[in-house]
Amino acid sequence: MKAMKLLVLAASLTLAACTQPATDAADSARVVNVYSARHYASDDAIFAAFTEQSGIAVNLIAAGGDQLIERVRADGERSPADVIITVDAARLHRAEQAGLFAPSDFSALTATVPANLIDPQGYWVSMAKRARVIAYSSTRVQPGEIETYEDLADPRWRGRVCVRESGNAYNQSLLASIIARSGEAAAEAWAQGIVDNMARPPQGGDTTQIQGIAAGVCDLAVVNHYYYALLANSDDPERQADAAAVSLLFPNQQTSGTHINVSGAGIAVNAPHPDEARALIEFFFSDDAQRMFAEMSNEIPVNVDANWDNPTLAAMLPFVEDDRNVSELGDHNATAQRIFDRVGWQ
Amino acid sequence: MRAAAGSIRSHDWLPGRTLLLAVLAAGLCAAPVLAVAWIALTGETGDYLRHLAGTRLTTYLATSAVVAVIAAGGAGLIGTSLGWLMARTEFFGRRTLGWVLILPLAVPAYVAAYAWLDLSHAGGPLQAMTGGLFPTIRGSWGAGLMFAFVLYPYVYLLARNAFAGQSADASNAARTLGAGPVSAFWRTSLPMARPAIAAGLALVVMESLADYGTVAHLGAPTLSIGLIRAWSGAGSLVDAARLSLVLVLVAILVFGLERAQRSRARNVNAAGRHKPAARLNLNGATGLAALAACLLPLLLGMIIPLGRLAWLALRTETANGLAAASLHSLTLAGITALIAATLGLGTAYALRSRTAIATLAARAAGLGYAVPGAVAAVGVIALLSGIQALIDPAWRAITGEVFPILLTGTGAALVFAYLSRFAAAAISPSETALARVTPSLDGAARTLGATRRRRVWQIHWPLIAAGVTSAGLLVFVEVLKELPATMILRPFNYDTLAIIAHNFAADERLGKAALPSLLIPLVALLPMIFVARYLSRQDR
Repeated sequence: MKAMKLLVLAASLTLAACTQPATDAADSARVVNVYSARHYASDDAIFAAFTEQSGIAVNLIAAGGDQLIERVRADGERSPADVIITVDAARLHRAEQAGLFAPSDFSALTATVPANLIDPQGYWVSMAKRARVIAYSSTRVQPGEIETYEDLADPRWRGRVCVRESGNAYNQSLLASIIARSGEAAAEAWAQGIVDNMARPPQGGDTTQIQGIAAGVCDLAVVNHYYYALLANSDDPERQADAAAVSLLFPNQQTSGTHINVSGAGIAVNAPHPDEARALIEFFFSDDAQRMFAEMSNEIPVNVDANWDNPTLAAMLPFVEDDRNVSELGDHNATAQRIFDRVGWQ
Repeated sequence: MRAAAGSIRSHDWLPGRTLLLAVLAAGLCAAPVLAVAWIALTGETGDYLRHLAGTRLTTYLATSAVVAVIAAGGAGLIGTSLGWLMARTEFFGRRTLGWVLILPLAVPAYVAAYAWLDLSHAGGPLQAMTGGLFPTIRGSWGAGLMFAFVLYPYVYLLARNAFAGQSADASNAARTLGAGPVSAFWRTSLPMARPAIAAGLALVVMESLADYGTVAHLGAPTLSIGLIRAWSGAGSLVDAARLSLVLVLVAILVFGLERAQRSRARNVNAAGRHKPAARLNLNGATGLAALAACLLPLLLGMIIPLGRLAWLALRTETANGLAAASLHSLTLAGITALIAATLGLGTAYALRSRTAIATLAARAAGLGYAVPGAVAAVGVIALLSGIQALIDPAWRAITGEVFPILLTGTGAALVFAYLSRFAAAAISPSETALARVTPSLDGAARTLGATRRRRVWQIHWPLIAAGVTSAGLLVFVEVLKELPATMILRPFNYDTLAIIAHNFAADERLGKAALPSLLIPLVALLPMIFVARYLSRQDR
């Protein structure tokens, strides 16, 4: 039957067109295979710069962190992954628990990178930071009126807080940091306080929360610092006006420090190209790469010596960070999510 | 008619090969879902589901119900009215609009959601224009509306074909018996089109329930949100798989209802091509009203959301790699659509034999639609790595080496994942189309000595061409916007338009998401133009 032949032909064409060999031993060119949960332009630029400097080509698959973990786990020994990159420390923790990373000695990095950003067992390192901060209305909230994450749950902010849904990894890690600091009961009371203070049911992304303040729906919002930078650096007057309506507070400066989350990378346990993988990870900490994180993604570089030019970001620094090892965030992620469920944070 | 249906069974023609296609389709569609079921049933038991039952499960279920009802109601209303207008009336602009009306299907629901929320959020342009009166599009009703706006083409396409295939006789008879045009519509046309409408609605409901991006962004916690949270938050893929079994049960129920509906309608749907109903001429004000009615869903589902993105795009730099991504999208969607249409048609033919195995196969094929894409992709990965585990030892025994291809990283794996999700969408249109080939028509042709080949190409094909090509188109468009399976199963360095659009949108860089989002419907236009021209040639 004609249809059957067509079917077989189409299937074999597809197979031929996009098959990738599991091993490329015959291939003399050096490559590194990257599985990344990041999809920023900065990363493309970094990979290009890496290839230019080292002659090592970068192959990339970008997908959600949990999906990547499943894929690498299922492919097992024959997985072509060399470097696994995720955003959010809890994802890194999960990949580590799934046995996807090879332990490595990243101690050479500690000269320039704070130790709390490196996994104690050497499974992964953080290459860029993001702070979860409080945006407040420049007109309706006085500077100093709010200082900490804990203040957000205070009844005097009833009906004045905008925050996104609790499925969001950044909210989960923020709560995980409070669990790590104050224990589960206090964290649950805090989450309940936020729910009571919400100006509206959670919706949209972090940008939506800032726009909520600009529109007068709420006076406070919890956002990652770079969403503000994205609005402030935008060419669009509408977005600039949104940014102008709010001020940023880096919370807990007098107490535990501002909660930070990270993007991190580790070498895959079955990496076919471990040397190239290591070379790429080390490159992430170079001046070039750190500059691209800061300038293109508005992320905070982890290399304290790196040079970069981004006035919006520079104006936010320096600030006191929560200096617990970020690997702790993963330990409390599941508890955080259950608390969100119990207090009805949508 | 019952006797006639029986006669198909006794003169079973084209039996073997079409049955093979049906079983193949069923296997492709059901296998990943079965793999998910396997994960669900064999995994460790924790207390997460109990925690969920004590906290948010009822919210998830209630929200899912509301979203599905609004999506189905909206899509049913829009799709049926447009289908009828296009098939049974004549007005200025009708010909051009016929195919254009499918285009909103090419707008991913989450893209529409990002754009609509951006337009309608507190202090956004729509609120500024209306003095704060325009409601923020959010929550269950907002998500339901988004699905209605972009998924109505399912209903529209199937309903249009059904209305177009109805002979004038029934409606004329009703008119002769004193029914007005409106009453004739309600009492003859609509009931006869009911199976097609139901088939479209079943797809709308399943796709709304399996969606993640739209409901997450608009704050409508459906069961899909619950199962993705079980996976990404609690880290339990097993519990996510268990929750997705609930969606599978819903799918079985929905498609079961649809089939029950179809078999009830079998007796009335005797329509050959002898005398198509005359088109109602709409002139003047009614013609304008019809035109407006057609433009409204286009505005809501495509022009407004994509227009907003385009407006933002003007103020930002363009994304890279769009040409290659367009080509990738086109290739994947084209290959999948061809295979799916073939499988769908094969299944539809097999269903005519009314054997138990064909019916079972058709139902199994519907399962792929039930599970959220991210979970279905895990099913595909689990299945392929299982197959790999079986091949490796055998291959090593023969060649001394491991099997040289990693199955999960191939384009074939991707097409497999697409087929498993969307082949069901190709079966219903083919089946509805094939219902127009009545047993008596076949019998007559056979009596006149027509060979099987001639019967298929000269009698069946002209009757079913619109349905089968529509089936292919639906799958084509679905693949264009598919996201989770594409992301995780694609070969290295292989972007599609949907991926680029999503990456920027998820990053809250809507301006940069604009161009890839605009390109998806543009790429979808190519096969639509081809199909439209082909069908108008067929339409003698």
